[in-house]
Amino acid sequence: MRVTRGVKLAAGTALLALAVAACGGGGGDSKESGSAGAQPVRVQIAEPQNDLIPGNTAETSGSEVVSALFIGLMSYDDNKKPVNRIAESIESTDQVNWTIKIKDGYTWHDGTPVTAQNFVDAWNFTAYGPNLQQNNYFYSVVKGYDEMNPADPDGEEGPKEAPEPSAKTLSGLNVVDDKTFTVELTHPFSGFPTMLGYVAFYPLPKAAFGADGKLTADYGANPIGNGPFKMSKPYKRGTDQTIDLARNDSFKEGQAKVDAVQFKIYTDLNTAYNDLRAGNLDIMDQLPAEAIGGAKAEFGDRYIEQPSSGVGWIGFNVKTGASYSKNPELRKAISMSIDRKTITETVFSGTRVPADDQISPVVAGYRKGACGEACTYDPAKAKELWDANGGKDVKTINLNYNADGGHKEWIEALANNLRTNLQVEVQAKPYEKFADILNDLEKGKVPGGFRMAWIMDYPSPENYLRPIFATGGSSNYVKYSNKEFDELLKKGDSAATFDEGLKYYQQADDIALRDLAYVPIYFYTTNGAYSTHVKNIKIDPFEHIDLFNVERA
Amino acid sequence: MTNATVTQEPAKHAKRVKAKKPASLWSDAWYDLRRNKIFLIGSALVLILILMAAFPSLFSPIDATKAATCDLAQARKGITSEHWFGTDNLGCDTYSRVIYGARVSIIVGIATGVITAVIGGGLGLLAGFYGRWTDVVLSRLAEMFFAIPVILGALLILAMIGRDKAGAWFVVMALAILAWPMILRIMRASVISAKSQDYVTAARALGAGPGRIMIRHILPNAITPVIVTATLNLGVFIAAEAGLSFLGVGVQPPEISWGLMIGDARNRFLEAPEPLIFPAVFLSITVLAFVMLGDAVRDALDPKLR
Repeated sequence: MRVTRGVKLAAGTALLALAVAACGGGGGDSKESGSAGAQPVRVQIAEPQNDLIPGNTAETSGSEVVSALFIGLMSYDDNKKPVNRIAESIESTDQVNWTIKIKDGYTWHDGTPVTAQNFVDAWNFTAYGPNLQQNNYFYSVVKGYDEMNPADPDGEEGPKEAPEPSAKTLSGLNVVDDKTFTVELTHPFSGFPTMLGYVAFYPLPKAAFGADGKLTADYGANPIGNGPFKMSKPYKRGTDQTIDLARNDSFKEGQAKVDAVQFKIYTDLNTAYNDLRAGNLDIMDQLPAEAIGGAKAEFGDRYIEQPSSGVGWIGFNVKTGASYSKNPELRKAISMSIDRKTITETVFSGTRVPADDQISPVVAGYRKGACGEACTYDPAKAKELWDANGGKDVKTINLNYNADGGHKEWIEALANNLRTNLQVEVQAKPYEKFADILNDLEKGKVPGGFRMAWIMDYPSPENYLRPIFATGGSSNYVKYSNKEFDELLKKGDSAATFDEGLKYYQQADDIALRDLAYVPIYFYTTNGAYSTHVKNIKIDPFEHIDLFNVERA
Repeated sequence: MTNATVTQEPAKHAKRVKAKKPASLWSDAWYDLRRNKIFLIGSALVLILILMAAFPSLFSPIDATKAATCDLAQARKGITSEHWFGTDNLGCDTYSRVIYGARVSIIVGIATGVITAVIGGGLGLLAGFYGRWTDVVLSRLAEMFFAIPVILGALLILAMIGRDKAGAWFVVMALAILAWPMILRIMRASVISAKSQDYVTAARALGAGPGRIMIRHILPNAITPVIVTATLNLGVFIAAEAGLSFLGVGVQPPEISWGLMIGDARNRFLEAPEPLIFPAVFLSITVLAFVMLGDAVRDALDPKLR
């Protein structure tokens, strides 16, 4: 008991400090920014949900840091096509058995070489159910996954625990030599190499594991990576307000242009934006909605606007949620009572696009207007549908969102839509941090609607469907489960050609759009800005800042 | 001629003395107050504000608590004939929101004022009257709370309660917890000085019990500084509520509060200043009204200060 209270108190104090900082934010304290040479490039993030372990990082803030520390087998070029990075070659004749060869010369921050075994160790660790890694589900395509993740007999919420897994390693993985390993999948999957650029598939060094085969406690706070930057001091999550990285001088691909990067953790985007204007922050890859209008004029060339892969949703827990969360017709009524067009135009100054599909327009497979009637603003029909399906018994709709992501205004606007059009009480509830709402969502403790968004991990329509809607998917916070949907995804994976696969993915998309467990609201645009201290800022469609090429101005 | 004036003067004087009978501190104060312009202005403003809080529909044709009155497409359109104070970020009418926002401020101001006066005054009376260990315990307890700055302490309390539960009454509670010791101190000092007066000794000699002495003899003679402080504090509490709501820990939407409105509007101030300026003006006027009232009451009740 005492511990909990202490923690709460500490949290209160932190809030206090931030609030005070917020007041002084606009002051323009530019004295300290004079000595640009010694100062790291400062990047805004929210607090990562978990320790900095690739397999356990599924949200944007953590992955921003992790992708500076680690690199994977593949990366993606400007056209979002996968290209080899650590991989020398990834080959298969039957799309089931894959042989992966890796390049020489990549090393860990501690000097040891990156080997095939490092990949296999990391993948086995992430795929092992009891390790509770966020990205566990991405390994379900690999043979042996089911043995490592036995089904819980009475579901996640039930009192019974899942039985002990019968295997500790993926039977589909096989190390041939230091530079080669093979992967056997459960079914033919032509998109497999495309997935391999995602953080879930990053390797882990020998040094990460303790004698018991688990990651050591130190590793999450002070990970040894293989990327262009390394930790310059351990990061204590929950206490530290910055994550400090230093350049990895022995990186095979060359040296990054700046010697230090500092991720600054903010609980309010507006505070961060004020810091950016005052020269106390260098890069933001997402501006608060309120600031977008003014930022264009204020930052000029240093304002970035480009299409993003992001989709913004309101999600509903369809399994254990409130009555309106569980009922697909009520969810449809909610969706139809949202005036997407006016919200995107007014709140976001036209920098969002009303969503009409679950799949973002930046990847192949997007269909304009796929959502149809359900995503079209029609208050009269929405009210009719709402009343016809017992909406009158709903007293209050809860809308949960995280306050550290600049969402307050559009959630309030959306809440007003529901209040007006459905004549229902709406309570918008802010969570202090994104990490907090994610933790509550994982435990199924959010009965009402919640804000969520998805930025693709790898460029494929499948990435907008499987992790989010498939049974047990890593970001399936709505607890959606549909056999037909899961089958269609598998068919899509196994299709001989991409176009044929697309057909199945789109059929799956139709099911997701019919059931609307996540109601798509808008497609993102990246609205970023940077200070006068830096130049050559690029933000990729995955919303990662290319820190390797950032230069001091 | 001279005779006439001389006879007239005492008659006039006698009349006034008669009218003042029985001459008490309270009737004297009321006599002063009625002639004090500051009091008249302050109380007129306060009356209007209380009316606004009780019956906002008298002042505004639009019911700001109804979301249907907001039209997102009309957001930040500036001052028009339809929206006298412009519209806010969600397209709601700022004028009606300012009117409806008075309620939270008045409730928080008056409720906190009354609660602190009752708790602080009651405990101060006990501490001052009984002295010894009662005084030691109560005074030390008060000092513990007194050491915490009101706004910072309230911020901490409300942050611990959490935003989802916070509301006007939690703000009242947080402020009351931290503000009562001020009243206790004043009451205690005032009771101690009243206790040593002759009339208390006389009452005791006549056999009055401690309860009767406290209520009938000491309280009426010691309460004036408490009333003065409590009235002045009303404005302070209203400003504190606005500050806490501005910082996001006080009143939560969809409740309407001036502090909340200012907080919501601040990020787009350059684009649309109206939704920030008008609640700020109303807040200033309200605090000013209560401070004027408090000042006038102090002048009337404590002539020594003049």
